[in-house]
Amino acid sequence: MRIYLFCLLISVFPAAAHAVIAQQEMRPGIPANADYLIGEPGKPAVLLLHGFLQTRDFPTVATLTRGLQDAGYTVLAPTLSLNIPNRAQSLACEAVHRHSLDDDVAEIGYWVGWLKSHGHRSIVLVGHSFGSLQLLAYLSLKPDAAVKAYIGTSLIEAQIGTTARAALIAQLEDRVLGKQRALVNQPLSFCRKYPSTPEGLLSYVRWDQARLLAALRQSPVSVKLIMGDQDNVMKRGWLKALALVQVPMVIVNGANHFMDGAHEFDLLEHTLKSLDTIQPVPSR
Amino acid sequence: MKWFTSFSIKQVALAFIAGLLVLVSLVGSFAAYQTQAVTHSMTLQNENAAQSELAAAVQRLLSQTEDQSVKLASWDETRQQLVLPEYYTYWRDQRVYESGMLNNRHVRAALYDPSGMLLEPSPAGISIPARLPAGTPPHQNASWLIDDAGTVALYYAFPVYSDEQRQSLLGHGLIRLDFMPALLRQDALHFTDIASVGLALKLGETLATSDLFSRLSFSARPNPDQLRFQTILSRTLLVLFVLLAAMAVLGFMAYNRLLVRPLGCLSQVIDAMQHGRFSPNPSRSQSMRIRELENIRRSLYDYQLQLRELHGSMEHQNREFHTQARQDTLTGCHNRRAYEEDWERFRQELKTAPQGVAFLLFDCDRFKTINDTYGHAKGDRVLSIIADALVMALRANDRLYRIGGDEFATFLSRTTPAQAKQVAQRCQSLIDAAGFADLGIVEPVGLSIGIAFCAADQLEQVDELPKQADIAMYTAKQPGRTRIALYGEDTERASQTLVASRETSALFQALASPGMIEMHYQAIHALPGRQVDYYEALARIRYHGKLILPEAFLPVVSSRRLETEFDLAVLNQVDADLSSGQLPTGCGLSINLSAQSISRPEVVSQLLELSRHNARHPLMLEITETSLITQMVEVRTYLDLLRTVNYRIAMDDFGTGYSPLRYLVDLPVDVVKFDISLVNKLGQDNRAGQVVADFARMMSGVGYSLVAEGVETEAVLRKVESLGIAHAQGYLLGRPIPLSELAASFAAEGAKATCNT
Repeated sequence: MRIYLFCLLISVFPAAAHAVIAQQEMRPGIPANADYLIGEPGKPAVLLLHGFLQTRDFPTVATLTRGLQDAGYTVLAPTLSLNIPNRAQSLACEAVHRHSLDDDVAEIGYWVGWLKSHGHRSIVLVGHSFGSLQLLAYLSLKPDAAVKAYIGTSLIEAQIGTTARAALIAQLEDRVLGKQRALVNQPLSFCRKYPSTPEGLLSYVRWDQARLLAALRQSPVSVKLIMGDQDNVMKRGWLKALALVQVPMVIVNGANHFMDGAHEFDLLEHTLKSLDTIQPVPSR
Repeated sequence: MKWFTSFSIKQVALAFIAGLLVLVSLVGSFAAYQTQAVTHSMTLQNENAAQSELAAAVQRLLSQTEDQSVKLASWDETRQQLVLPEYYTYWRDQRVYESGMLNNRHVRAALYDPSGMLLEPSPAGISIPARLPAGTPPHQNASWLIDDAGTVALYYAFPVYSDEQRQSLLGHGLIRLDFMPALLRQDALHFTDIASVGLALKLGETLATSDLFSRLSFSARPNPDQLRFQTILSRTLLVLFVLLAAMAVLGFMAYNRLLVRPLGCLSQVIDAMQHGRFSPNPSRSQSMRIRELENIRRSLYDYQLQLRELHGSMEHQNREFHTQARQDTLTGCHNRRAYEEDWERFRQELKTAPQGVAFLLFDCDRFKTINDTYGHAKGDRVLSIIADALVMALRANDRLYRIGGDEFATFLSRTTPAQAKQVAQRCQSLIDAAGFADLGIVEPVGLSIGIAFCAADQLEQVDELPKQADIAMYTAKQPGRTRIALYGEDTERASQTLVASRETSALFQALASPGMIEMHYQAIHALPGRQVDYYEALARIRYHGKLILPEAFLPVVSSRRLETEFDLAVLNQVDADLSSGQLPTGCGLSINLSAQSISRPEVVSQLLELSRHNARHPLMLEITETSLITQMVEVRTYLDLLRTVNYRIAMDDFGTGYSPLRYLVDLPVDVVKFDISLVNKLGQDNRAGQVVADFARMMSGVGYSLVAEGVETEAVLRKVESLGIAHAQGYLLGRPIPLSELAASFAAEGAKATCNT
């Protein structure tokens, strides 16, 4: 794996002096990149993941990145490739979606490995919205031992609208089995039209609330959720469900799904509080 | 050389208006020329604008295409298709349009792998090259045009990289669009005629976009502003020209009515005034609308009235002057000028109306003597009475002319000699009956009348009538005559009078030509020794070799009042004789002068000049006693002056004239010369002889030196000697001889030839 580091010299902010763009080839012909902001050595590195079809430049993520870095944390904020070389833009719902949750989890694994390769032995996974789901999916597999904690903000399941999930899953499985390559145009998350390959769509559709709750319960690392009580994106009763499984959770009053505005500081504050509770592991 | 020609005001107005129209035409032409230039400039500008906007449109289209290519190249989904082209058609036919990367279905996008091969063939009807043209640079954009079955397509190829650093080439993108519709669809062509835009491209020919503009044909859209501008300007010029022409015509009419016509009227009035024609009713002339012209008209009217009055007055005065110029102011009858004009006109009339003509010449007898004796005032009165009497005596239509001092004339038409004589006799009768005695004139005043007649068949001799009348008048003056003479009938001695007439001519010629007067010298002898004491200079006129004696020409001198001129001529000749030195020194000279000449300054000046001879030749002046000296004071003053330069003064012809004693008393006389009439009395042994003798003794007794003239007999000479008269002269003692003869006698006598001085 080749790593290209491009140093952007910014003299105004001292932290910026430690910012680099990390790039990895996730699959043949599909390179991806991430902002790598180096923090204080004694603090865990944070792998911060953006939401559905977004990039690391999404405001909630970007603000949180700067806040964490300012707090002395090393932050790695990748942009999932979604099978697009060096994706830099939010992917439109109507675009051809050739990615799957498996690809996303694989890329998370790559970035965890990348952090480890850079000496980070304590990694905290922080995700926003669908990114929290993707990180949780990563944790449900065999996560790297360096991953020490998970902070999910505005965690949300893979919503499929009014379509019956089971039937859809069955239909998709039939297509996958039948090797039908035609694009499936099924609402997913906030996308009304989401043309995707059957296997890609199926990988996401499987992650409903129940699977999320199970993953939370089965997480090998400490889990912390930060949710907004004004989040209109999540389904009604989702916070209650989370509370039922007794997942450590902070509910930010008045915050919406994106925790924008003044709630950005709430998000940062709660995130930092969660990070402060993690026992530091010396870097190699 | 006449370099200036005056023009009428109408011509000036026409010239002005013509000039104005020419000027307007020139301005209009200039404006039209400028309009054409502006139009041409605007056309060029329009073409340039069309060219510029077309170039801008092309450039804009290329830029838009390039922008599209940039967006496509940097679009994540483009890169995805180059890596995972399974759903390429979905991307090509749907995503590029849904996403807004291409906003027009006429614009197509295609992707090629790094080797330049199209990812997937294009659908039917859309011409997309299966392979990028050879030579397409792999890392640069390339664009070209090609004629695809009659449709000019613009292709824009661009590289697509995996990374922002353009290190990893994923493949190529291609944008295809129908060039002409895309170009013209921009709605940015305002100056270009869209229908005219074309691109000359052969079928299948490839054209680089850098060469595009050179193959692009177009024409500029007619500029509506330009057309409107031309139309407005042309209409404006036309309207302006029509307005100016109309204004010029109206102005000319107004000018003609307000200025030309009134000025013409004024000019006509002035011309008429200049030629003496005045408007019969100047007040009726129409009033003028221009105040200044109206003032001129009124002034002219007033001036015309004044001029009319003045003209009338002048005509009256002219008639007056004409009359006065032809009227003798003294007598009221016609003067010599009228005589000459009337005579000439009458002569001309005779040529067409032959008739008997009589010419009457009147001359007052002894008028000079009367004038000298009684003064000019009475002399003038005499002439008036004579004129009145003659006018009364003449026929109603006959005119009386005063042609000289006391000479009158008239010519009678349609008459006979007998009728003329009757008229003359009637004239004489009225003169005789006139009351001259009332004027204190005791002497009879008579009138001599000379008549000349010319019959109707002898009119060729009519020019001789004045001369013949003159001769007849002289005949009438002969003693013993009836004082009326008809030429040819009463002029028995016509030849004699002809001589007289000849002597008159001789006199005038002698006065004009020095040398014709010849001085003869008669010795004056001292008594009782009888030796020559001095000489008296006596004038003769030599005319055609013959001598004319004073008896012949002196009456002419007197009648013509030529005394001064004659005396000056005599003095000149005496001066010449004395200067010649032919007279021996000591010989004195006695010179005759008329009393009138003594009072003339030029004569006195001449005498003063002559006095230079007094040293060698004692000079004496003889004043004729017969002359009536009217200016006694002046004469005495001059005589006193002459005596200071040693002139002696002698009273000549004493005993024949007027007031001799007064002259002797008042004038500085040294010598008294007894007239021959008195001297002859001395020869008579009677009381008259005794009176003269006693008078002579008395004169001698009071100191006068006496000279006896006309001594022709021995008896008279002895008597003279006995009376103690100092000098004597006469044919008995010696006749007058010319200077040459006198000089010869002096030469013959030799040393004895001296005067007894």
